[in-house]
Amino acid sequence: MSTAAAAAPATTRIKAVYGHLDLFLTGIDQLKKAGIVGWEVVSPLPRHEMLDIVYEGRPSPVRWWTLTGAVSGLVGGFLLTSLTAAQWPMINPGGKPVVALPAYAVIMFECTILIGALATGLGMVIHTGLPGFFLDQAIQDPRFSDDKFGIVFTRAREDDAEKIVAILSEAGAIEVTTGDDTIYEVPNA
Amino acid sequence: MEAIRPPSYSAANRDIIRVMFTPSAAYLIGLGISVALVGLLGFCLIPEVWWGMGMAGTNNASFWGTYIVTFVFWVGIGHAGTLISAILFLVRSKWRTGVYRASEAMTVFAVMTAGLFPVLHLGRLWQVYWFFPYPNQRYLWVNFKSPLMWDVFAISTYFTVSAVFFYIGLVPDFAIVRDHNKGLISKVYNILAVGWRGTNRQWHHYMAAYGFFAAFAAPLVLSVHSVVSWDFAMAVTAGWHSTIFPPYFVAGAIFSGCAMVITLLLPMSYIFGWKDYVNEWHYDALAKMCLLTSGILTYAYATEYFIGWYSQNPHEWEIFYWRATGEYAWAFWLMVFCNCVAPLPWYLPKLRTNPWVLWIIAGLINVGMWMERFNIVVSSTAHGFDPAMWRMYSPSMWEVGILLGSCGWFMMYFLLFAKTMPAVAIMEIKELIAAPVKGKLEAK
Repeated sequence: MSTAAAAAPATTRIKAVYGHLDLFLTGIDQLKKAGIVGWEVVSPLPRHEMLDIVYEGRPSPVRWWTLTGAVSGLVGGFLLTSLTAAQWPMINPGGKPVVALPAYAVIMFECTILIGALATGLGMVIHTGLPGFFLDQAIQDPRFSDDKFGIVFTRAREDDAEKIVAILSEAGAIEVTTGDDTIYEVPNA
Repeated sequence: MEAIRPPSYSAANRDIIRVMFTPSAAYLIGLGISVALVGLLGFCLIPEVWWGMGMAGTNNASFWGTYIVTFVFWVGIGHAGTLISAILFLVRSKWRTGVYRASEAMTVFAVMTAGLFPVLHLGRLWQVYWFFPYPNQRYLWVNFKSPLMWDVFAISTYFTVSAVFFYIGLVPDFAIVRDHNKGLISKVYNILAVGWRGTNRQWHHYMAAYGFFAAFAAPLVLSVHSVVSWDFAMAVTAGWHSTIFPPYFVAGAIFSGCAMVITLLLPMSYIFGWKDYVNEWHYDALAKMCLLTSGILTYAYATEYFIGWYSQNPHEWEIFYWRATGEYAWAFWLMVFCNCVAPLPWYLPKLRTNPWVLWIIAGLINVGMWMERFNIVVSSTAHGFDPAMWRMYSPSMWEVGILLGSCGWFMMYFLLFAKTMPAVAIMEIKELIAAPVKGKLEAK
């Protein structure tokens, strides 16, 4: 074992399962007040109370992907239409302008939407960390897509484990597990 | 009238997933008929590929026929889905939740069906790639000033954005299906859900992206049929060259799309026993949408006649007079009856919630909207400026076969969707259910 690995503090998994939204929010709140970090929450739906308490109003950076994509699409649509027309300036039917913005506005609009939407999708995939096939097994609990809420530590310091378990239990968790017990086994699977 | 009323999160999961993967005999018969109609489409396509566009009923005057009529019809049908999923999401309309998933699926499949027709209309199907913007051998690009090229961009953008929006909405629900099943089904749905688990990080960015998708899709709803209308309005043809076309086409598209949602979802909600999720509340709202857009359409029809008369343009007046009294008068009056008169009973609240009345009127609207496109597309070219060039159009049996086949193509996808994907958005239904709380839910 290397010296660095030997010096690394021992970690463990901790998982709390809640059946009630208010208790789940209390659990998150208590962890924040105790200054404990390194947790993730899992829920069957995006309750705004949960996102408010976790992110405290910080917006998602996906919006920058959206803006960049939309502007790129707009500029790209203009360049596509005008540069391709300018390549053959002698084709000028009826004395109309070679680069005709009113006609090209439709293409520019469609490119804005298309590239903006695709960039938003790409930004979402990157920031959400999808695909999530390799998320920690403690998070892969089918109850969280049904009706339960969860707070999961995938690498909590073992020294803090007792304190964390106490906070999560006091908040009203219906189940708090640690170590390999956090891996949920579906009954009769 | 009650809104959505499932008792719990678990009940929502169970009720909506329950109907998946269990095809009844009636379902299999319906699917079989749809597949047979797709076969008919393929069969009717053979003569056109072999002998060319002469197998269609089009002629030198009426150069646009059933293919373009049906193209516009299916693009119009595709409007309600994105309207319901995007615009009603942005205005936080709660009734959208029960119906938006099936409407979105309808949109994607309707645009896939519409996309067949410009290809069929080409005659030389194998040259479809000429649609796309790339330089030919002499480095000459497509004409971006042509409304037909605008249409290629509008429809392909609409399809792409609608399909991505549809799939992104499905991801959390695919995860629910995964967790409710075992073995191979669970593995397949895990791939479809791209390993979704509902962590705070996933929800945070997902909800932001979903809002932006809705914001992008909302103007698309209004723009796509405006662009389709310019296929006609930009041509100097009597009956087409009109500034009223974009709003008139958009209203017609929403009208036909909402009617198609009723046509498809009404039997589905009864067969699947989804009264807690899709019920009178939704149908009442959809019928009101149809009433509003029917009023706009009726106004647009009247305005066309008024302007035809008031402008004192003999060509304009001739085409409108001929539409109502000439050889295609039957199609015109059928359109007026189905689109302007038939929805009127829905002004009575009781009739907006009666399933039979809803289904029959919605069916009539579907017929009326196909007839509207027939009136617009065919009559103006059959009865143009020069009487020497007046030629009547009637569809050939091959075109009728392809029209029926397109209905089968659409229904085949919709039926497959109904049994393989959650046809009601489970995650969003849960947002309407009171959250389980032990004490009081307070802002932290």
